[in-house]
Amino acid sequence: MTELRTLSSAAKVRLVATRELSTRIRDKSFIISSIVILVAIVGAMAFQVVVSSGGEETRVAVVGGDASVTAALEAQGEALDVDVTVVELVDEDAARAAVDAEDVEGALLAGADPELLVRESAGGSLEAVVQGAVGQLAVAQQLADAGLTGLDVPEVAVTPLETGAAADGQRIVTAIIGVVLLYSLLILFGQFIAQGVVEEKASRVVELLLATMRPWQLLAGKILGLGVLALGQMVLIGVVGVAGVLAFDVVEVPGELIGTVLTVIAWFLLGYAFYAAVFAVAASLVSRQEDLATVLMPTSMVLIVAFFVGIQAASDPAGGLARVTSYLPGLSPLVMPVRQAAGQVALWEVGLAVVLMLAAIALIVRLGGRVYAGALLRTGGKIKVREALRAERV
Amino acid sequence: MLEFDGLRKSFGSIRVLDGVGFTVAPGSMFGFCGSNGAGKTTTMRIAMGLVRADAGEVRWQGRPLDQVTRSRIGYMPEERGLYPKMKVGEQVTYFARLHGMDAAPAAKAAEEWVGRLGLGDRRGDPVEKLSLGNQQRVQLAAALVSRPEVLILDEPFSGLDPVGVDSLAEALLEQVRTGVPVVFSSHQLDLVERLCDSVGILARGRMVATGTVEELRRREAGRVLRVVVPDAPPGWAAALPGVRVVSESAGDTLLDLGAGADDQAVLGAAVRTGRVTHFAWRQPSLVELFREAVAQPQEVAA
Repeated sequence: MTELRTLSSAAKVRLVATRELSTRIRDKSFIISSIVILVAIVGAMAFQVVVSSGGEETRVAVVGGDASVTAALEAQGEALDVDVTVVELVDEDAARAAVDAEDVEGALLAGADPELLVRESAGGSLEAVVQGAVGQLAVAQQLADAGLTGLDVPEVAVTPLETGAAADGQRIVTAIIGVVLLYSLLILFGQFIAQGVVEEKASRVVELLLATMRPWQLLAGKILGLGVLALGQMVLIGVVGVAGVLAFDVVEVPGELIGTVLTVIAWFLLGYAFYAAVFAVAASLVSRQEDLATVLMPTSMVLIVAFFVGIQAASDPAGGLARVTSYLPGLSPLVMPVRQAAGQVALWEVGLAVVLMLAAIALIVRLGGRVYAGALLRTGGKIKVREALRAERV
Repeated sequence: MLEFDGLRKSFGSIRVLDGVGFTVAPGSMFGFCGSNGAGKTTTMRIAMGLVRADAGEVRWQGRPLDQVTRSRIGYMPEERGLYPKMKVGEQVTYFARLHGMDAAPAAKAAEEWVGRLGLGDRRGDPVEKLSLGNQQRVQLAAALVSRPEVLILDEPFSGLDPVGVDSLAEALLEQVRTGVPVVFSSHQLDLVERLCDSVGILARGRMVATGTVEELRRREAGRVLRVVVPDAPPGWAAALPGVRVVSESAGDTLLDLGAGADDQAVLGAAVRTGRVTHFAWRQPSLVELFREAVAQPQEVAA
């Protein structure tokens, strides 16, 4: 009897959370779903790499000419967004052999009358690169011969009308992937929570649990335990995703990508807290797994709507629908990250959405906690929310 | 002392408990009897804080039970409840921890109890793979693992085979011997009679009888004599002062003796009729007491 300690609320919540975590992490359906998600992510990146494999590459052999030829070729390549590799060869024979062996795409025989040797035709940008380089060199040479040096050629300033369109595109793609992930994980963990609640009711173990703790401690423990797991999974996916993107060199601006990933994770936390509580409370109204789908339906519908609005927002981040729904608690976790990624959001807007979401979570935990407490010990058919609210609290 | 004091509870317009009170001394076993729906489960749930009483309270060592003291109570609900997919050992450990044991002692106590209840080799099996009888043992282990100061068990014997009943009875008696007050409800009145130091009968939301079985017999049954006089003529006892004949058939006579009646005078009268083959105070069984108590519309002082 001396071994017993009086447990604080935090200790009880922690015990429940630990049990949830350790039970679920060994659960087959969880392990399988995690693997599926990770494989999907890696697969999507591999696909991305194959489809838009960065800039072109070309290998050019140079015979004769000095370093200025090589430099001009490389400079021209850079201007045309072609990755030029220059190989210097000793004579024409070596160049022909190299072209024949497809060791290089073409060979430039430099000199007063430059010639480009290719296998069949100068494909892609090769000709443009070589032509540009040779032309530049010739112009520079003739100007120098005419005594004109130190020419000040104005560089064209590029002013994109759609600022950072390319980077935005990447961020939006990231945000869409994020929305898909958010949606999948929210549904998945919502289901986990709901199943856990019903399992406790169906097996009646809840009566034994409530003899040692209050309903809110049980609820909080369940949400936290699975939340830690969900966050862990989200972070794992984020790390794998970012690492893969960097490794495959899919994205130009990794800093902004990471920012978007962090935004998505932050919204996931808010969305998780909200939906986990709603799912748990809804699940507490029934006593059998078979009845679960019915009570989860309305919430699942909201989540599905949020998902489609989020996808829609990606194509029209400044539109009225995206703007309004990005404030709505429940929808905001799937819409606001897209708008943020698109860079169309003022800080106060994000702040407002977060505050509204937090208020909704507080409300749902308070009200839902009462429903949960009132419904837990009532088994049998489906309990009405009003009945559960009326049921007395202990 | 574990005191249930003046518990009242209504669900809507239905009054379930109407002033239920009884006391259980440390180291004694209290059998809680009553018809189905009499309110036994509600009474126990009130003690465990699962249902709030409209009035009255349950005290342990003079203090009303609260969340802290309740963690020192071992409880077995009427509806058995365990996590079906959780392993036996882990499950019992978990309940030990919920009652406030540290991780290592909890694991040790769980192992000990699981072994003691004969489930040592099933420790790693999920509960759902066990037979109902064995699940019941796990349930008991969950109630006992934290070395509770008080045991409250709702129908602990239901669904057990005779061997299971004996081993559970032995486990409970062992708890009683260490000074734990045990309250359990049961419909198996022979068992209650055998095990319990005192008994309470709940009917219509009130305790219609409490006390030791002996006390109940004396109080409830009055003084009934059974006299078997094979040779006696019918009505042989009708004229005896203070004696009412309850039944008589072929000399087998049940006599209700009033306050002033003299049993020795009855014996004398019986001997005068011829042979006396049986002369004894009748011991009503608890079942009879129960029927009588539950049937009586008036309250019997508890």
